[in-house]
Amino acid sequence: MATPLNHSVPQPLPGENGSRLELHLASHTAELAKARKAVEHFAAHHGFSENAQAQVGLCVNEAMANVIRHAYGGTSGKPILLIADYDESPDLGSTSLRITIRDWGNGRNPSEMPPKPYNALEPGGVGLICLRRMMDEVTFTPQPDGMLLTLVKRK
Amino acid sequence: MNQSIELNAGTDLVPSARVEGTSVIASIRGEIDLHNSPELRGAMLDVLLRGDPQKLILNLQQVPYMDSSAVAVLVEALQKMRRIGGKVFLTNLQPRVKGLLEIARLDTIFNVVKDEAEALAK
Repeated sequence: MATPLNHSVPQPLPGENGSRLELHLASHTAELAKARKAVEHFAAHHGFSENAQAQVGLCVNEAMANVIRHAYGGTSGKPILLIADYDESPDLGSTSLRITIRDWGNGRNPSEMPPKPYNALEPGGVGLICLRRMMDEVTFTPQPDGMLLTLVKRK
Repeated sequence: MNQSIELNAGTDLVPSARVEGTSVIASIRGEIDLHNSPELRGAMLDVLLRGDPQKLILNLQQVPYMDSSAVAVLVEALQKMRRIGGKVFLTNLQPRVKGLLEIARLDTIFNVVKDEAEALAK
């Protein structure tokens, strides 16, 4: 009798199409876990380590939470578009996950804000630290009507 | 031997809390992000108010994930405890939570120990 194969590779989720995951989300905190888990699943599907999956998931959580809290000022139901692309360029020796998070709110570009020394005992700042330490690239690109954040995690 | 008194925390995120001497030991449960961290904050404040501890021991065995908003709740509890000369112990950290506390440089500010017994003994 044939032994069933152990399918350890996660199967695609809704919104996931090969090398792209596209999620149309709303600015509600209930969406955070959904986005985080979808991106973690996508990273797992493309062979990223458990640690990398966790880092990417946390960074998506933190970035989206910032959009909800700051760009949209806590208003529910505003659009957030999350796209994750898996880029494989073996000839360049580069394999990466590129995640963009687009909002249409009034967030500020953290790169243009005056640097503030981090104090672990004061609220705020942890999310941005996670982005900068866990991702290989973090780019805020202001748009005429919002913000585009690009996160890159290399394998 | 100290008597253990249940605080009957009774929330999803803090299903149990008990007083042992001057310590309060609370178990936290679940994945915590901005969606439910306000609930955790309320439960923490309630535990601190009713338990009035010198030592707050938070067992995070059943917390596989938390984000910075949950960390902020823990820091608020720490600040409140410090104001009265108390201490906060975090026990049974799961890898993802431990990693976040390290990145936030809070692993050395909280008393991170293996389990409740070690926290009680300190």
